[in-house]
Amino acid sequence: MFAYVVRRIFVGVIMLFVMSLVTYLLFFAAPSDPARYTCGKNCSPELIEQNRKALGYDKPVLVQYGEFVKGVFVGREFPDDPELKKSAPETIASCPAPCLGYSPLQSATVTSLIAEAAPISISLAFMAFLMWMVFGISGGIIAALYKGRFADRALVGSALVVYSFPTFFIGLSLYIFVAIKWQLTPIPVYTPISEGGVGAWLSGLFLPSLTLALIYIAGYIRLTRAFVLESMGEDYIRTARAKGLPQRQIMGKHTMRAALTPIATVAGLDLGALLAGAIITETVFNYNGLGKLAVQAATTYDLPTTVGIVLVAAAFIITANIIVDVLYAVIDPRVKYS
Amino acid sequence: MTISRRTTALAVLAVTSVLSVAACGGGGTTTGSGNGSATGSAAAGQKGGTVYWLTKRPAEHLDPQRTYIGRDLANENRLFYRDLVSFPVGKTGEEATKPVADLATDTGTSSEGGKVWKFTLKDGVKWQDGKDITCEDLKYGLSRGFATDVITGGPNYQLGYLDVPQKDGLPVYNGPYKKTGQADFDKAVACEGKTITYHFNKPWADFPLAIASLRSFAPYRADQDKGDQSNYAIFSSGPYQLQGTWQKGKGGTFVRNPNYDPKTDQTGRMALPDKIVITEGLTNEIINQRLIADSGDDKYAVTDRKIPGSMYSQIDSNPTVKSRSTLVNAPFVDYLLPNFNSDVMKNPKVRDALKLATDKTAYITASGGDKYGVPAKSIVNPDIVGYKDNAAFTGPDAGDTAAAKAMLQSAGVTLPVKIKYTYSGGTPESDNAAAALKQGWDKAGFSTTLDPLTDTYYDVIQNPNTKSDVYWGGWGADWPSAATVTAPLFDSRVNGVGTNPKSNGQDYGNYKSDAVNSLFDQAAKAADVQSAATVYAQADDQLGKDVAYIPLTVEKFYFLHGSGITGYAQSAATSGYPDLGSIGVKK
Repeated sequence: MFAYVVRRIFVGVIMLFVMSLVTYLLFFAAPSDPARYTCGKNCSPELIEQNRKALGYDKPVLVQYGEFVKGVFVGREFPDDPELKKSAPETIASCPAPCLGYSPLQSATVTSLIAEAAPISISLAFMAFLMWMVFGISGGIIAALYKGRFADRALVGSALVVYSFPTFFIGLSLYIFVAIKWQLTPIPVYTPISEGGVGAWLSGLFLPSLTLALIYIAGYIRLTRAFVLESMGEDYIRTARAKGLPQRQIMGKHTMRAALTPIATVAGLDLGALLAGAIITETVFNYNGLGKLAVQAATTYDLPTTVGIVLVAAAFIITANIIVDVLYAVIDPRVKYS
Repeated sequence: MTISRRTTALAVLAVTSVLSVAACGGGGTTTGSGNGSATGSAAAGQKGGTVYWLTKRPAEHLDPQRTYIGRDLANENRLFYRDLVSFPVGKTGEEATKPVADLATDTGTSSEGGKVWKFTLKDGVKWQDGKDITCEDLKYGLSRGFATDVITGGPNYQLGYLDVPQKDGLPVYNGPYKKTGQADFDKAVACEGKTITYHFNKPWADFPLAIASLRSFAPYRADQDKGDQSNYAIFSSGPYQLQGTWQKGKGGTFVRNPNYDPKTDQTGRMALPDKIVITEGLTNEIINQRLIADSGDDKYAVTDRKIPGSMYSQIDSNPTVKSRSTLVNAPFVDYLLPNFNSDVMKNPKVRDALKLATDKTAYITASGGDKYGVPAKSIVNPDIVGYKDNAAFTGPDAGDTAAAKAMLQSAGVTLPVKIKYTYSGGTPESDNAAAALKQGWDKAGFSTTLDPLTDTYYDVIQNPNTKSDVYWGGWGADWPSAATVTAPLFDSRVNGVGTNPKSNGQDYGNYKSDAVNSLFDQAAKAADVQSAATVYAQADDQLGKDVAYIPLTVEKFYFLHGSGITGYAQSAATSGYPDLGSIGVKK
């Protein structure tokens, strides 16, 4: 198992490098000029050229990529201008390893931007995850247990309705009606625990997490119901019933264990993707998480930030994949890794 | 300043229209006086309380020398960056854009026909740490704009005006960090005690207007400067200072600056609230729904975001909400540009026909109606000093397709004349507006292909080789003078038309006229603003005769504010945005 995990981590790191290189190449293949975005409206061709040089965009792509990789391991300084460093060292920004670059459009290192945004996306993702796992799985079990009856139809029917709505519709509806018109909750504002305590943190997270969770709850009700019904139809469950085992034991020990394995796989991947930012929910609720940062970076041709977020997002998904694979073996004793 | 109509919230808009709940009744909007001014709520307020500013677009820069967004320029001046001269608080009409002394003892004295300007600092003006604001601080602030590789994104008029020699298209002085060419800069800007003298290479009649509008000439303390890292660091010289740090995309809180002495301030800044909280990143729909609900802290909120069209009925039918709305001229004018590189548009009669067939009324209706804008009679905004209607564009707002067709028939071209119209699209409003224009043109004998660009816009039309016949444009003056409208848009030498094969600068229609260029030179040499305005008006007349552009609409700002706000005002002094110099809260 240990060797398997080490091998997976090694492959994951290689994948991260490949993804960063692809992002670099794609960025420079785009028709827009990143140097133009750093210049004001009265920008002359001479100024654009000067900015291109100052930002290092005049160097070959592979050289730029090499400098980026070097920065990840040993750190960098921005701008990389020996003359400026000598005459005005206070203007040089230091970016210690692991340095993911410096965003001239945000006037900050990418590492610091990600460090500010990540806790927001992570809080949102975990709170939503908690909601959808609790309500989605329990709803699915109830629907399976009462198959064909009112509870099943009501749960599956409402799940289908909620699943049909786009996230921005649910988010805006909750924001406008619950927070603004009916004032059932305060206006959602992300407050770190260090600033407002757990109460303010939870209160701020409630509506955006609910928005995310509602979509997933709907999906997980249907997913859990299907897997539980499938397990309930297995021969070994019939055997357990025939042996006279109590219903609770059949459900808890035999049915759920088998049904949970695929759910854990999907949940892990969903959580991994969500950790990298929930673009629409973060935009609707004005949560400055990774999703919103990614949109901002992509629309302003902010290469360093774009590469940094791609890497972090990929790292989350690769990590989630590895964890899910390990969990597989824990949940299902039949799975062995060599 | 160029404007783009691209929005990322299309879907959100659509949903909001579904979510909007109509009530009943009628009410009254506080309408501007036609010159971009509006005042609402109680005229004067009391000190204390907190004002909330809700907005969507994050500030790109809060460094005075890098700021170039009208809203931020206005707020910086009212809150934390005083300048030698500023626009007064609480004035309307032409008075709103008449600079008054702020850090300086007067509005400056010019000599040598406007090529030399002198200002003297007042006694007792201080930074937030209690140190005096000095002439060296003013000089240092201006010098930063020359470090074009570090201090990026801001206005760069000083590079062209200050008497600093140029080499390869850039000044020989490269700012206070590397100090190359420092002696040249020191000759152009000199300090003598509290008096600063600016030497320009050409007359700058409206220099005080530029100081009051931009923050390029604001003082900056050298010991606070960390280059690009100071982008969001605010070291105040005004009535408020930043509490903690500014968080891009989230905003910041401003509290009173204990070292600000109101006795040194004759601009009329009232500095009423104890605190001002600016929140960025909210969607237009959420901001305006919160202002409609008017509950909790939102009673004390203002915004710079227009009311979305989907909410008009909700506001129009609720008198209480409508009484908190204002409709004033925005600084922006929408216009069309025939492409002078296109074979068909080289024919003056075809351009005339296009002008005659343009239905401004339909364009405005499709864009959102009278709350979007009013028909424009010139590319120059009516709030600009010396504005007058351009006689070439005073015909029927709905166009005259019959006259256009006759003109086209006499142009020696085969009908229908195929044209391509390229515009900044991607929103229902922009696409509907383009369709409305097409309808009028096609009726007159054109056959129009619509070419909406949804990703990048100005980068595409800046290419002189772009194959299109008509472009859409939007523009707002940098300061209330035609010097920042027609000259930067149509001076072919400045924009490199015919000389730069890669870019036409901001002369997107590739227009080139020696006669107009000569008028721009003449206006630039004028020693005072009024005589310059007269020459700029002549240049505009010529542009109209050549149909170098076709004005569409003077945009409007339709804003809401909370019921607990006092002294609410919008004027040309703040580019039509709420004026934090007079706003307070009800106690």
